[in-house]
Amino acid sequence: MEALIHLGNGFLQVLQPANLLVLFIGLVLGMLVAVLPGLTLVMGVVLALPFTYTMELLPAIILLTAMYVSGTYGGAFTAILFRIPGEPIDVPLLWDGYTMGRKGQPAKALGWTLFAALGGGLITTTVMVLASAPVATFALTFSSPEYFAIIIFGLTSVVSLGGGSITNAAISLMLGLMIATVGVDSIYGAERFAFGVPFLQDGIEYLLVMVGAYGLGEVFTRLEKGFAGDGTPADTDRSISTEFPTLAEMLKLKMTFLRSSLVGIIVGIIPGAGATVASFVAYGVEGQYGKRGKELGTGIAEGIVAPQTAATSSVGGAMIPLLTMGIPGSGATAIILGAFLLHGMQPGPQVFVTSGPFVYAVFASIFLGIIGMCILGFFAIKPLVKVLELPEAVVSAFVVLFCFIGAFAARNNLSDLYVITGFGILGYLFEKFSFPIAPMVLGVILGPLAESSFMTMMVSNGNDWTVLMGRPVSATVMVMAVVALVYPIQRQLRERTRRNGTKQ
Amino acid sequence: MLNRLLRAAPYIVLQLAAMYFYQLAGHIEYPATPGRIGPDFWPKSILVLLGGVCIYEIIKNLLIGETFTAAGLLEKLMKDSGANEGEEKLRSYPMLLVGGILLTVVYVATIDKLGFFLATIAYLALFMVIGRYRRWGVIAISSVLGSLALVFIFMKVVYVSLPLGTEPFSAVSLWLLAIMGVH
Repeated sequence: MEALIHLGNGFLQVLQPANLLVLFIGLVLGMLVAVLPGLTLVMGVVLALPFTYTMELLPAIILLTAMYVSGTYGGAFTAILFRIPGEPIDVPLLWDGYTMGRKGQPAKALGWTLFAALGGGLITTTVMVLASAPVATFALTFSSPEYFAIIIFGLTSVVSLGGGSITNAAISLMLGLMIATVGVDSIYGAERFAFGVPFLQDGIEYLLVMVGAYGLGEVFTRLEKGFAGDGTPADTDRSISTEFPTLAEMLKLKMTFLRSSLVGIIVGIIPGAGATVASFVAYGVEGQYGKRGKELGTGIAEGIVAPQTAATSSVGGAMIPLLTMGIPGSGATAIILGAFLLHGMQPGPQVFVTSGPFVYAVFASIFLGIIGMCILGFFAIKPLVKVLELPEAVVSAFVVLFCFIGAFAARNNLSDLYVITGFGILGYLFEKFSFPIAPMVLGVILGPLAESSFMTMMVSNGNDWTVLMGRPVSATVMVMAVVALVYPIQRQLRERTRRNGTKQ
Repeated sequence: MLNRLLRAAPYIVLQLAAMYFYQLAGHIEYPATPGRIGPDFWPKSILVLLGGVCIYEIIKNLLIGETFTAAGLLEKLMKDSGANEGEEKLRSYPMLLVGGILLTVVYVATIDKLGFFLATIAYLALFMVIGRYRRWGVIAISSVLGSLALVFIFMKVVYVSLPLGTEPFSAVSLWLLAIMGVH
């Protein structure tokens, strides 16, 4: 009941004209970056971050979460209509969404997408509201061993669930953790790896790593491949409309919808997985357990509802560990965490005690964001897909500038521009040699927290690290971390042995 | 053998860097307390893990010639779905990349002297040209109007103090700010 009252007050805050305007802008921007060639959802959220420096915390978080929510939906339009997935999240939509469109039912395919995004979004937000406070209360009992174990689990799952090979992801993570050690150490005040350079003594801002590696790195990578000369060739002038499924049609897919919502929420909660994994896993689960699983890929509604529901559901899932433990579950939530920290607020178990009304206002903004995103998707789809015609070279030139201004605005320090150029080149090299960027970024953000929990644990327990295995929560989470890392390697080795055996 | 060496090269570089930083970590100065681990422990532990993974990759790629790599879940899902098919076949333009990086470095180096407005006009226009865009009218209009819009948004609306440049270039920035009413 108390939660409902807080939520009601949250709605009142978000419904103030200035906050509503920010929400609307965030939704439009999220959809644009999801559609625009050369821009990804995470990059878009990174580029929006500098605009939030002078904002109050609430509108800043509203803007970024609105972009995050609508970014999981906007790319569906181009995937279904033009076979151009705006984001990797939308790849599964090519198989049934685009095929349904080719069969002469693009409006119906768009209707199913809207239904899935709306339903998945509302379910996940409800779960987020109901689950966050109890999770935070439980997390209040944690001390440094539990925190350290949870961070280790987060980091290992980023390695095993993300892109690239597991060893490359591990290297990327360790580089991120090392970058976080540069500067003056918070416990002893000792200078580490600063080489006497003043701006290194202050430490390397994670913002510079994110903007450089995600923003500039991606632009350099695409530049080497040669930008698409004059926008992506697509018939954006054709008639585009959305046709809702009937109630009877929706009810037929209720199990697909519930299964995929559950997959999305669970995958969202697991650090490092995110919307793309949710979308693919939900499609796979539908193929295995759905009534028409064998027909997936032929243009059936289940192939649209499953990935889109899961992608949008993952948003609420990812917000739970972010708000209750301060642990981001995806690239986008890592940036949202960055915005919290920039405004001097550390999300974590105390957040409901210290800033309860604020948290419920964020929840309310996500509720409204999901509804707003679907309304926008219904009415503004045609102008949105028009941005496909923007030339990539022009878009990319402006992306670089936004990266620079974002980095410069944080500290008004021109040296930071060299740092982000350096991380841009590193981001390009990562792409080139197939090292994923996300583990490095999460390493930079979570590194200081991991180190301080580790040092506190060691100091409090006489340098005895086995305390991790002596407490039920930390022991369970550490076992999960080991399984998260070892199981995929062991499974793939077994698969390879079996394949080799079959060949012989 | 050359292929193996090329595959192992990034890991060799990282291994050398890990060794170098490990040695540096050994020289971190701090007031040591008996029985307590120091600020060198955490970075050293990470570097040992990093070195271990690099040695594994070097042995695997260089000595054994093994190409098997356990992939992260997302990588495996994308590979199994064929979503990345065709990406490898895309053409590569290394000179565009070199040009883009050089231009970016020059922009960063000169922005303090030229000021944000002038440096940005030049950067936007040249970046588009390097990016193989050839509609000169669009290039000219978007770089000039784009720079103006950025100056207006960031200096007038978001209050970010962008570099004005030094004489004689600062005169242009100051004139522009006066027109926009930025004091």
